Amino acid sequence: MSKAISRRNFLMATGAVGAAGLLAACGSKPAASSTASSAASQAPAASADESLALSDGPVNLSISWWGGDSRHAAYQSALEAFQAEHSNITVEPTFAAWSGWEEKMAAAFIAGNAQDVCQVNWNWLYNYSADGSKFVDLNTTSKFIDLTQWDSAAMDACYVANSQQCVPVSMTGRIFYWNMTTFNKAGITEVPKSLDDLMAAGKAFQEKLGDDYYPMHLGAYDRMILMVFYLESKYGKDWADPVTSTLNYTEEEIAEGLAFIKSLVDNHVMMNLKTYYSANSDTATHQSNEWITGKIAGIFEWDSAASKYSSALDDSNKDGFTVGEEIKFGDNNGGFSKVSMGLAITKTCKNVAEAATLINFLLNEEKGASIMGSECGIPASKAGLKFAQDAGAVKSLVAEANAKVMAFTTNKLDPLFENNDLKASGTGIYQEVFDNIDYGDQTPEEAVETLLDGMESVGYTIG
Amino acid sequence: MGMKASNKIATFFKYFVLILVGVIMIYPLLWMISATFKDNSEIFAGISLWIKKPTLDGYRNALNNFGGSINILQAMLNTYSYVIPKVICTVVSACIAAYGFGRFDFPGRKLLFNIMLATLFLPQVVLNVPQYLLYNKFGWVDSPFYLAIWVHCAFATETYFVYQLVQFMRNVPRDLDEAAAIDGCSSFQTLYKVIVPMLGPALVSCALFQFMWSCNDFMGPLLYVSTPGKYPMSLFVKLSMDGDTGFAWNKILALSLISILPQLIVFFCAQDQFVEGISAGAVKG
Repeated sequence: MSKAISRRNFLMATGAVGAAGLLAACGSKPAASSTASSAASQAPAASADESLALSDGPVNLSISWWGGDSRHAAYQSALEAFQAEHSNITVEPTFAAWSGWEEKMAAAFIAGNAQDVCQVNWNWLYNYSADGSKFVDLNTTSKFIDLTQWDSAAMDACYVANSQQCVPVSMTGRIFYWNMTTFNKAGITEVPKSLDDLMAAGKAFQEKLGDDYYPMHLGAYDRMILMVFYLESKYGKDWADPVTSTLNYTEEEIAEGLAFIKSLVDNHVMMNLKTYYSANSDTATHQSNEWITGKIAGIFEWDSAASKYSSALDDSNKDGFTVGEEIKFGDNNGGFSKVSMGLAITKTCKNVAEAATLINFLLNEEKGASIMGSECGIPASKAGLKFAQDAGAVKSLVAEANAKVMAFTTNKLDPLFENNDLKASGTGIYQEVFDNIDYGDQTPEEAVETLLDGMESVGYTIG
Repeated sequence: MGMKASNKIATFFKYFVLILVGVIMIYPLLWMISATFKDNSEIFAGISLWIKKPTLDGYRNALNNFGGSINILQAMLNTYSYVIPKVICTVVSACIAAYGFGRFDFPGRKLLFNIMLATLFLPQVVLNVPQYLLYNKFGWVDSPFYLAIWVHCAFATETYFVYQLVQFMRNVPRDLDEAAAIDGCSSFQTLYKVIVPMLGPALVSCALFQFMWSCNDFMGPLLYVSTPGKYPMSLFVKLSMDGDTGFAWNKILALSLISILPQLIVFFCAQDQFVEGISAGAVKG
């Protein structure tokens, strides 16, 4: 045991030195995310800044987002509608796909030339503005943004360094999706609602359809999320503290979680990773032949991924795609919901009042929200959701999944959970852990140490 | 069995192997062309070239102009508006720098050459942020003339090409320089009247490499171009690739196919010189 601790301390020390070097190189103030004292209760929220006012003269704003074709189109027509309403404001957009986008925005945040309004990923608040230096506290703009349209839990998640750094555009979480065409072939007519149902499905698939049919396939990161889901369901506590990233689970409890995942593999509920790689290497599940043809009949995915998976199915399987039910593995509801993206105003913005008006238009007002629809996920703003639904601009599959996730999940996510060194496919720690177990290199008990070492090296505090 | 027959068999096998390997090499490109006519489920279903349900959606969607801000033609024009100055700057500056290192003995030459070579091993990733901060100070970020992308090439920053040209220059006999000097050429005249013509194939290969790399460069334009109307092809192709909700691959493949056409044409035009250029530098160390 002493050996394990010393290795962890070593990793922590090297991690800290490396991080300090990076920060020094960037010339920014060292502000470790774990020390960001952002508990909402510590300081009263800043009140509206009365000096903010809309200008009568011509105003130039810029906005940036990432996404695909349909999101680009939605934002652009919403901006047109906004400019028609506010004839003195011109909005210049910048947009691209997600890949490389974080690097671009990180450079822009550091150089101070990011756009006035930015679509931000939730963990950017911690990565780039843990000291509150990059984004305007939106509580000061409450004259222009109706902040009462959001649940306090969602708003609190964006409250970092005593500052409301962004408003959530949408919330997301994981849920099961099933291909009922295959389930029906195995003689199962209802979606699995309990662990017993899952195990029974594994058995039925193997017996009736053969060894190459599985009720479910999860990649390494999906497994990690399901494991946390299981543990939270069983023990009723967050995986880690949502502010300080202090792990709330003991080694024994984590070993139990890993053993749970292994039991799903052993009971033919899930495909062994080794088997999956040999047929697909690192291809994503929705692009695998097994998913397209229905041999893999289930996934545990983000609510927003529904259309990606359903449209990938071939014609004989397309109709069977069904949003499943969240499964209670213990006495509590497991799983987390997280802010999938937010809109923030950068501190370099010169026209904060107009920028805030734009955010309010996109998320809360009828004209904007009905155009944006569910292009950035199911709107988290209550008014926005109503307008989008009335306009019929919400994808029904995603809306159904999102409603189930939001009604079920109660746990919070910590900002380090999605750290790239942990979740990266191929090189991340999560991948290493679940690969080791599936290849038989480590037992769940042994894999705990690999997991904890990796988590500690990215900044988790482990009790 | 006569000599003729065995010769024929040998030729048959040679061609058989060559054609087989050739087909394997070209297959991905053929597949890419056929996949532009398939939908997603068909693309991932197998590697056959046969198209079950042909669709032209890929090409139709490739003409999407993103609210009028950028279209495929404009993106191609944008690409070449910085690739061409970049290639010219690279070739000229690398040639001059190589001439200096290859032909002149000045104090600190070895040290400077080593320092220059050392920059070859610096990964671009570590340069991104400092470079961005610097260019931001210059006001070059989102410049309408793409200054941040190509101006640095005018200062022989592409070490690889300098190195390649220095090696190549060793093959050009110094006697020619001396003869030129006797005829009254200055150093610069020697360079462009004697050495540059001899370096022809090597310069073409430099230009081609830089052309291909610059056309394919994604991170540079992503960092330094923010106005959609100025997006080059490498950004335009990727605009639709939203991993979260999924996208139609036939459009991406159609765009990719269209965007590599000019590169293919340039490559075929310069092919002979190019291959000569690569091998010529390698013979003598």
